[in-house]
Amino acid sequence: MRDQIPLRVIGISHNTAPVEVREKVALSEDEQMIAIKHITGNTDADGCILLSTCNRTEIYVSGPNVNTTIDQIAPWLNELKNCVEYTDRNITYQIHGSEAAEHFCKVIAGMDSLILGEQQITGQVKDSYDMTHGLKGTDALINKLFNFGMQAKKKVHNETFLSDGTVSVSFAGVELARKIFSDLSDKKILLIGAGKTAELAAYHFQENGVKHINVANRTMENATELAKKLHGKAYQLDNLARVLEETDIVISATSSETYVVTADIIRPISKMRHHRPLFLIDLAIPRDIDPEIEKIDGVFLYNLDDLQDIVKSNLEKRKKEIPKAMKIIQEYVDEFQQWVSMNSMNNVVGMLKSKLDVLRMNELERLKSKLPQNGYKSEIENLTESIINKVVRQHVKSLKKVAHDPEQYRQQVEMILRIYELDSEN
Amino acid sequence: MKEFSQIISYSLPILYMVVIYIYYLIFTEKTKTLANKTTPILLFLVVCHLIEIITRSIAIDSMPLSTTHDAYAFIAFSITLVYLISEIGIKSRGAGIFILSFALILELLSSYNMSWEPETNPLLVDKTFAIHASLSIMGYTALSLAAIYALLYILQNNNLKKRNLGNLFMQLPALNYLERMSSRSVLTGIILLGIGILLGHYQAHVMIGEFWPKDIKVIVSDVVWLLYVVGFVFTSIKKWRGEKMAYLSFYGFLILIVGGGIIIYMSNSFHKFN
Repeated sequence: MRDQIPLRVIGISHNTAPVEVREKVALSEDEQMIAIKHITGNTDADGCILLSTCNRTEIYVSGPNVNTTIDQIAPWLNELKNCVEYTDRNITYQIHGSEAAEHFCKVIAGMDSLILGEQQITGQVKDSYDMTHGLKGTDALINKLFNFGMQAKKKVHNETFLSDGTVSVSFAGVELARKIFSDLSDKKILLIGAGKTAELAAYHFQENGVKHINVANRTMENATELAKKLHGKAYQLDNLARVLEETDIVISATSSETYVVTADIIRPISKMRHHRPLFLIDLAIPRDIDPEIEKIDGVFLYNLDDLQDIVKSNLEKRKKEIPKAMKIIQEYVDEFQQWVSMNSMNNVVGMLKSKLDVLRMNELERLKSKLPQNGYKSEIENLTESIINKVVRQHVKSLKKVAHDPEQYRQQVEMILRIYELDSEN
Repeated sequence: MKEFSQIISYSLPILYMVVIYIYYLIFTEKTKTLANKTTPILLFLVVCHLIEIITRSIAIDSMPLSTTHDAYAFIAFSITLVYLISEIGIKSRGAGIFILSFALILELLSSYNMSWEPETNPLLVDKTFAIHASLSIMGYTALSLAAIYALLYILQNNNLKKRNLGNLFMQLPALNYLERMSSRSVLTGIILLGIGILLGHYQAHVMIGEFWPKDIKVIVSDVVWLLYVVGFVFTSIKKWRGEKMAYLSFYGFLILIVGGGIIIYMSNSFHKFN
């Protein structure tokens, strides 16, 4: 049962626009609040949800006239952001009905993200929903869409490998370290070099529980400055051998033209350390660490290419999971579609029941004067009510029968609305 | 009771195979859904195995440790139980396929060769024997696990050195965890087997008046235990670790198992003191 969902999305994302455009149209928290109030207060929309991140700005609206609503919203957003992009058909996309629901599920599961399978987007969608819900900007359809989206995301996460394995070079280093040491909190890191690359890598390890980070550099001043930021100690590069004895992980990123760490330095140290594991990450180009050291027992060396290979292979693995994830999302979209259909059937049935009740009451009123005193009033009321319920039940039965066929279902609903003149009144 | 026990005994290897197949699916990343359900599945297997041991004990009217096959079954049970506990602790299922496969081999050796005749040897129905046998078996279990963890260490070390960062690498625990588990298991094995052997000697002294009976199994067990103690003390003093220690632990166990296995198969019941 397709395309009966009164839902539409207008969006600009990394798939359609470069970062300069995306940052231009992005909505701040205050602007999002203004937009939510405007959309639900001044347009035909029953509900909405706004999502604005660095990679996308999307506005989902629900209601009977969603197509015209979007046409009302886009120029207003242009005005709000003082831009023209929202009405530019080359960079915006509009998706409606079940495809919009599918798109929402894909977004929430990280399938439409710049980095396939990333998890951050789920939290961002949740925040957006909470904000809109708090401002009473959501309706039953948006609430249900959010619920189904979250469920689909959870199932995709639990049953596929779409979000597994690291896809960032610096995190690949952390993951490898975990496969050697398991717990990093008591491990000692030595940064060789005090540049930006080494600093960023150090922060990544700090975020993952590492407490002891020292810095060794040719220029002591730079080493001291960085060590201060990382709450560690600074060393001259000449003292490398001594510091390495106590180190578990080495991150090297200098601009040296020759090897800074050689096998001759590591061999005696490794013996003194009783071959306790030493993990070295060489982020420099040209390389800082002599590849010969790999032959030493307990020493593990990875360079930039190795880390990039890990990222590449993880991304490939994630891509292979797309069909499985899509199947899950499709299940939830179908369920959502069914919910929408059931909801619309309940509305039609409700309208029909009210209309027939009005007719019944009018007829009873007319009959009242013709009835003898104390005669059959309650019996007639019960009888007519029972007839009406039977008629309504018959319509429900026939609607359920064609519920699997969207075209027949639509025709059936239209027929009921036409016969009982329900559409003109509601 | 005998029929019921026999049915469980013969079905147990099949159950092991099913569980190993589940671990295979997880290991090869063919399923993610089952990855969080292994603990209850494994618990079910352990309970079934425990029922088998108890019902067999009732069926043959003695402690089910009196034959070689019973000993194998008990080692398989202990390995699975210890693995279950470690899996709950570290939440890593990568080692499961290896450890449970080893348990399956022991279980297969056990299940299809069992004797269902009640034990008549008075030595084997003695209570000291039960403690001696249990401790010895638990000691062997710990040493088996040490060897498996050492083998996994070698594999993981190889993965890291050669950059084979596929499924095997992802599923196996961290190097230092494997190393720690292997050395702890060796120490546990030495202690348990040591007490077990000592009790065995005491029982022999009480029952047949000989503290050092001239039985080949006793001699081999003593020698193997002594070698483990010497090896452990030596490597601790020398602070050996890493790959070298893993190879030593693995090959040491292989010699023990091959040697012990051949000797066990050469005799009909556990201890026939001539």
